[in-house]
Amino acid sequence: MRYNLWFGVYEDGKVEKSSNLEESFLNAENEEPAPFNISEVGVKIFGGRVEYYTSLRKVALAVAERLVEQELKREDRYVVALVKALEEVEEAINMLKEKVEDIRTVKDSEIVADFEDKIEELKNLKKKIEREIEEIMTKIAPNLTEIAGAKITAKLLERAGSMERLVKLPASKIQVIGAEKSLYKAFARMKKGKKAKIPKHGIIFLHPFIRTLPKSKRGKMARFLAAKIAIAAKIDYFRGEIDESLYESLRKRYEELRRK
Amino acid sequence: MKMVVRNVYLSDGMLVTKSRYGSHYGEKVFDGFREWIPWRSKLAAMILKGYTIDFRGEEIILYLGAASGTTLSHLADIIDEGFIYAVEYSAKPFEKLLELARERTNIIPLLFDASKPWKYSGIVEKVDFIYQDIAQKNQVDILERNTEFFLKEGGEILIMVKARSIDSTAEPEEVFDNVLKRIESRFEILKHGNLEPYHKDHLFVHAKLF
Repeated sequence: MRYNLWFGVYEDGKVEKSSNLEESFLNAENEEPAPFNISEVGVKIFGGRVEYYTSLRKVALAVAERLVEQELKREDRYVVALVKALEEVEEAINMLKEKVEDIRTVKDSEIVADFEDKIEELKNLKKKIEREIEEIMTKIAPNLTEIAGAKITAKLLERAGSMERLVKLPASKIQVIGAEKSLYKAFARMKKGKKAKIPKHGIIFLHPFIRTLPKSKRGKMARFLAAKIAIAAKIDYFRGEIDESLYESLRKRYEELRRK
Repeated sequence: MKMVVRNVYLSDGMLVTKSRYGSHYGEKVFDGFREWIPWRSKLAAMILKGYTIDFRGEEIILYLGAASGTTLSHLADIIDEGFIYAVEYSAKPFEKLLELARERTNIIPLLFDASKPWKYSGIVEKVDFIYQDIAQKNQVDILERNTEFFLKEGGEILIMVKARSIDSTAEPEEVFDNVLKRIESRFEILKHGNLEPYHKDHLFVHAKLF
């Protein structure tokens, strides 16, 4: 059996040492657990316990530093691009569906089936993009994803443009992101001294804790959720650790409002 | 000051570890000791509640879910003659963990997904101890997979289970019973208990591989 170790390839008791340790470190993948102890083999190769662990640490640090930098730089921009693409794909699906219905009412031809295949394909693409967004969001914004879900978080991120900008937004802005049109309309009416309805929620309306409440309570919940989102964004950006109390307080507030 | 675990002391109700390093996450540092805050670390909560583990200080440990290295920094104080393989998948907390790994020579940082141990199977050796704190639905699966790859015969595990991550609708007791049953099938359970009041609906399980 061959085993890919971080310092080379092991086969029949012999090790062929790697010439690029960082590369072999990232390819040290094996289907089965090794039947020997890697450090014992390694200590012989590196000529001592201290030497073995010193090299291992050095390579591990170098690889991790590189990967972390790559990921943090790119991932939020990648999500922003994905969300935009997702919206286009969704629109394309709806548009195609409409057109194929138009055709079908006149004549159910072979082309209709072709259209349906294409729609199916696009739906699969849509699912794939959604999964990718979810995976990255849990990685770069674990708290936001936990309290608001990947979809809402990704949309907020897209509107803000980057994590850095999202972090700087106040909760009151987060609450109405996505409802700008009606917000500014309301402001314009107020300026003229007329009565105006200020929107209570934008994108965050998609959150089940808001959607499932009676209309009169949604504003309260939206305000509370937006405040928690603002906090979660800051934790994600600066600390990155999960804060369990966030979701808990959200759920409590929701139940309180539902009972009243 | 009373020693409760190797390099861990209790001083006026405050838990501290003997350390020649500075503050990592805002904890107080004084005369060669670092405060170990039970609200920030589940391991500290467990020890403060009176359950201790006899570390010898020379163990090889696999730490799954190291996050930004809060608990890890204290474990590294305890295991001052051993090594800790610290696995964390999320890049953001890993930045902070890297700061720690740069100064501590007994930490090997691994940016990998703990649910896919085969990806780092050519890096991590056979270990004496697996510590796992991953608040995920399949956290017991993750533990089992890593045990298969890395835990020595007779090796021990300490897992921190978060009820709400596994099933947010079921009663925590129910979730814990199921987890214990699963762990029992492969391990001898040495001790388990809750972490109240420091961490709500959490269970720690210390066990030994048959």
